[in-house]
Amino acid sequence: MKGNVVKIITALSIFSSGLWIAGLGLTIKDQFFYESEAPIKEISLKDVVAKQEDGIHIIALGDSLTRGTGDESGKGYVGYVVDELQTKTKQSIHVKNLAIKGQRSAGLASQLQQVEVQRQIKQADIILMTIGGNDLFQSGEALSNFSLERINQAKADYLQNLHTIFKTIRSLNPNAVVFYISLYNPFNDLKDAKTTSAVVREWNFDSAEVASNYPSIIAVPTFDLFELNVNDYLYSDKFHPNKEGYKLIGERVASLITFTEEDEKND
Amino acid sequence: MINLVYNEMIKIVRKRRLLIIAAIIVVLVALFTYAQMKRVQSLQEQLGTTDWRSQLQQQIIDTQNRLNSSGLSEEWRKFLQIRLQQQQYYLDHDINPSAPGAPTFMRMFAENSIDLFIPLMVMVIAADLVSSEASGGTIKLLLTRPVKRWKILLSKYIAMILSVSFILLSLGVISYFISGVVFGFAGWTMPLLTGFSVQGEELDTTNVHILSQWKYLLMEFGLVWFVSIIVGTLTFMLSVLMKSTAAVMGIMLAALISGTILSNMVSSWESAKYLFMVNLRLTDYVSGMAPPIDGMTLGFSMTVLAVWGLVALMISFLVFTKRDVY
Amino acid sequence: MTNGNVTLVVKDLRKKIGKKEIIKGLSFELKKGEVFGFLGPNGAGKTTTIRMLVGLIKPTSGQISLCGYDLHREFSKAIRQIGCIVENPELYPYLTGWENLEHFARMVPDIPENRISEVVELVGLQNRIHDRVSTYSLGMRQRLGIAQALLGKPKILILDEPTNGLDPVGIREMREFIRFLAEKEGLTVLVSSHLLSEIQLMCDRVAIMSKGKIIRIDTVEHLLAEQERVIWKVEPIEKAKSLLEEETVIIGEEDGTLVTYYEADKLSSWNERLVKAGVKVSEIRTKLPTLEDLFIELTGGETID
Repeated sequence: MKGNVVKIITALSIFSSGLWIAGLGLTIKDQFFYESEAPIKEISLKDVVAKQEDGIHIIALGDSLTRGTGDESGKGYVGYVVDELQTKTKQSIHVKNLAIKGQRSAGLASQLQQVEVQRQIKQADIILMTIGGNDLFQSGEALSNFSLERINQAKADYLQNLHTIFKTIRSLNPNAVVFYISLYNPFNDLKDAKTTSAVVREWNFDSAEVASNYPSIIAVPTFDLFELNVNDYLYSDKFHPNKEGYKLIGERVASLITFTEEDEKND
Repeated sequence: MINLVYNEMIKIVRKRRLLIIAAIIVVLVALFTYAQMKRVQSLQEQLGTTDWRSQLQQQIIDTQNRLNSSGLSEEWRKFLQIRLQQQQYYLDHDINPSAPGAPTFMRMFAENSIDLFIPLMVMVIAADLVSSEASGGTIKLLLTRPVKRWKILLSKYIAMILSVSFILLSLGVISYFISGVVFGFAGWTMPLLTGFSVQGEELDTTNVHILSQWKYLLMEFGLVWFVSIIVGTLTFMLSVLMKSTAAVMGIMLAALISGTILSNMVSSWESAKYLFMVNLRLTDYVSGMAPPIDGMTLGFSMTVLAVWGLVALMISFLVFTKRDVY
Repeated sequence: MTNGNVTLVVKDLRKKIGKKEIIKGLSFELKKGEVFGFLGPNGAGKTTTIRMLVGLIKPTSGQISLCGYDLHREFSKAIRQIGCIVENPELYPYLTGWENLEHFARMVPDIPENRISEVVELVGLQNRIHDRVSTYSLGMRQRLGIAQALLGKPKILILDEPTNGLDPVGIREMREFIRFLAEKEGLTVLVSSHLLSEIQLMCDRVAIMSKGKIIRIDTVEHLLAEQERVIWKVEPIEKAKSLLEEETVIIGEEDGTLVTYYEADKLSSWNERLVKAGVKVSEIRTKLPTLEDLFIELTGGETID
């Protein structure tokens, strides 16, 4: 019996040695002598079967504001919107947050070209987005030594991109309601407040103009939320909102959705 | 010669080394299966979806966000960059790199254990092959038989290779069946991509092609086997040189662990790429991960390992056949 | 090259470790059917010599031939002629006695299957042979060691300290067994021991080693017989000593007695001289020396062990 165990193990060992050597040979053949054949086809949107899960689908797009940078609980305004909605509906809510920190309008426009992103947008009922903050504040070098000329240049590019973004979204999904959350002025408390506020207001106005060209794209103002006591609502970087700031934005957006969601349901 | 190898196999089996190793594998695989199951669950909870595309997309977004945060080390940034491009490539070609299933688990287990866990198991077998005969005194009986010394050593070396193969086989079988209970046994024909090559921070995809998972697995196990044989050979050499099995294990353990640490921090110390222990992660080349040091390729790493192995083998035979036994 | 009776020939065997020569030119021959003893204190080179004979240590120079085969040039054929236990019989404790024997049998060509049961019977281990060696007593391990050495039907048996650690009964059994192998099976047995009494009882011939050299080889009877001693009980001892020293060599002195070599023709004249000088001689007796006495004389007082 004992002898047999050794024999079986030895036989298995010899067999597996052969197997592994074959594997090694296959590796060498595959990795060193691979001759490239026809490139593998990228999928297009048509190939992807849309698997729809029940419930309300929310897609969040944009930059660090949508990510929730500055909120130590990590929720961001998206999280608070969902919290609010949960109290109003029994349906399950699926959120996909595709926002990337530091993203500008050009980045978002190209992100929307990705097949998987498009697929998710197709399935969305509600789209939340923030964009433009990085276009404005970084090109204006935080507005400290700003030049109007440079800002105007950035804005022209940005508005162009915003058009592309909205057009893409609408063509992918004509029904979803898009909440475009506009900018506030984080420098409201500083000495140049008057100039910077003027720039932000104008930026928001132009963005809303773009949005108004498309159906069901709603520009949500936040400028007023941060106008008084701005420092109470800002994170320690004095740029992103803190938890309270995000709550304000979240509540505002959520208050708009109740209405539209009921609307959608009644369709 | 067959008799000699059979003798060595009897000794390895009767010392119950293989049984202990199999038991360790069972425990670890069960542990990892459970951990993996928890991970999948929490990922689903977090994303509220079971759709792999959404999950992968989310991982890509997470990586992009991490890349945009400050304070990332250069190596880590590069690693993320490469992984990001690869994930995007998988997504763009509609291939799920981590479709659940026992074969996928086997693949991930092999990839993650190639530089430490499997070498450790190999060490348990190889460390006392010769040194235990020396410390137990049985070497005197072995060497006073009408058999040339090199044949005795060769039989031990072959027995080591056979046991390594057996360990890998049991690793494969055990991980397949245990993880299969949780994740299902299917997935052998699932497509996977290989042929990525890394150029600086960019992922070169010109040679990327599709392989079925079973082929991919066979390739990875072939590489794991190669690494195990090299580690086994080095341990074998130490076992010839030293009487104390504990000393052999200590040295190998230090080398292996230093390897895993070094891999994470040697990108600026270029000549470290000639050390065997930073070259152990051969499967990373197949799956297309960034190497620890620029300019390292599969061919390079295999050559470095082969040279180390050959030198160790030569030293073993020279010392063993010439040495006086006291 | 030598007659058929000689089984082991060693010629000018030397071993250097670094610059130190630890074996300084040994030469001896062993014959069929004899038990040959190696005697010497620790560090004399016994173990090194034995390990060179079985091929574990390579000599720096010199020749070893076993039944006509040169150990260096025809290793396999030469080593086939010997069976050995070097120091303790260390076997694999996790295998049974039987498996150990099988293991070693596989390493030698042409061992018939029943040879294993044959040697097991020869050493009387039938009852316990299928138990693990880790459960064996030292005596049983020693016997299994011998069984292992006998497996290949060797012509020469080399045993390093075969009685080490055995109880008195075991020692006697082992001694009888070794004599049996030499006398009935015609084996040449080479034994090293630190127990002089053992060597004396067991061996036909003895080589006494000291500091890497053989200082004496002879049969046990010769060694003991030719060196008969005289023990003088005399008073006053100092006077007797100075007188006797003029005549012969005094090789020992203990509690009121002096020891000299026995020389039959001169003994009476020595006695006469002592008595004339006024020394009181109360006893003169002859005594056969033990190997131990001899050993101490030869090595100049080196102790064994």
